[in-house]
Amino acid sequence: MNAVAQVVAAASAAPLQVRSLTHRYDSKVVLDHVDLALQPGSVLGLIGRNGAGKSTLIRAMLGLLEPQAGEALVFGEPALKLSDAAKERLGHVPQQPDALAWLTAAQMFDYLSRFYPRWDHRFVRDTMQRWKIEADKVMAKLSPGERQRVDLVRALAPQPELLVLDEPASALDPVARRELLREIALRAGEAGATVLFSTHIVSDLERVASDIAFLHDGRLLLHCPVDETKERYARLWLPANVAAAAPASPLGKRRHEDGSLSVIVECDAGGAWPEASRLPGARIDTLGLEDLFVEIAE
Amino acid sequence: MDASLLTIQPASAEPIYRQIVEQLRRLIAGGQLPPGELLPSVREVAGFHAINPMTVSRAYSLAESEGLLERQRGKGMTVAAQSRTALSQTQRMGLLEPQIAALARQARELELPAEPVLRRLDKLLKE
Repeated sequence: MNAVAQVVAAASAAPLQVRSLTHRYDSKVVLDHVDLALQPGSVLGLIGRNGAGKSTLIRAMLGLLEPQAGEALVFGEPALKLSDAAKERLGHVPQQPDALAWLTAAQMFDYLSRFYPRWDHRFVRDTMQRWKIEADKVMAKLSPGERQRVDLVRALAPQPELLVLDEPASALDPVARRELLREIALRAGEAGATVLFSTHIVSDLERVASDIAFLHDGRLLLHCPVDETKERYARLWLPANVAAAAPASPLGKRRHEDGSLSVIVECDAGGAWPEASRLPGARIDTLGLEDLFVEIAE
Repeated sequence: MDASLLTIQPASAEPIYRQIVEQLRRLIAGGQLPPGELLPSVREVAGFHAINPMTVSRAYSLAESEGLLERQRGKGMTVAAQSRTALSQTQRMGLLEPQIAALARQARELELPAEPVLRRLDKLLKE
């Protein structure tokens, strides 16, 4: 491959990709052969219950943790040996930011801005003012919500091409959360940034995510566009007398106390639901992502 | 038109792009959006509602392909010139069909006879 072809291949590669990622803590399997690739410009919402493995997956994707098996690539480079050039294009907000806590936010911004050619000073100034955070206070003394927002500003200021946020909204109030989502949405749409964010707040994800991935017990149960997920899956409820006719479902099946049954079903290419939905008493309920998530994760 | 005229319910089972098209259809059929009216840009809608701009683009493209909107060079999206007059009563009834079907289903589930339901509906329509 000549140099030009290499550059082209690197530019068109998935900004973030993992293959057959597997990791255990002691005997507990945290990640079980996870395959995932983010398309450029997409906003992927990673959803899962607490302990599902979201943070471990994110850390392994970025090379902050060495998985026991499988590989992780960032801009086509092995995540564990990332070049400085690739690091410059990546912004990451960990779940609990604690780096450089002895500095004030202003000092940290001043220090970091020297390493990033595209550092957006105006964005930093405007956002800190709008969020009313004291830039001259030592960061260790900020509230958790303030600390998280400072870290968001820190991650967004270099105008990264790839933005990875681990539970970015967990310490934010609703107004700040909405602002963050707006920022994510517009950066993806206009600057063409690729975004991965993990959350257990499903409605956040429904606003801005183009794609969704369900992580459950270390396995990726579902990965598809948000709109398609809503159109393709539904809950089929069958009364007790016809419950035996329920179709097999890899996604979720629940028997209720009265013998009736709920099962997650998928429509075919023509948009038709499985045969069993036409049984007497059967009911199809279309689902929001939260309901779908609960059905799958139970 | 202002972006705040749209209501987005992210948690709904209906995808956001469909919610937007559906609301445009209603606003146009009801005359709140007259032919030629300029629509807010994709950025304005996405920014106001904190939703993905690609979702708004998708909605606009779908509305354009259905003849509700027209892309004006250098100006943006406008309500199509033909949009209002083209809707017959049957088509407008069609817009109401999902709600009527849902109402009928719920009435059956509650084991309500048709007569009191229709009487109540009749009263509401005449208000």
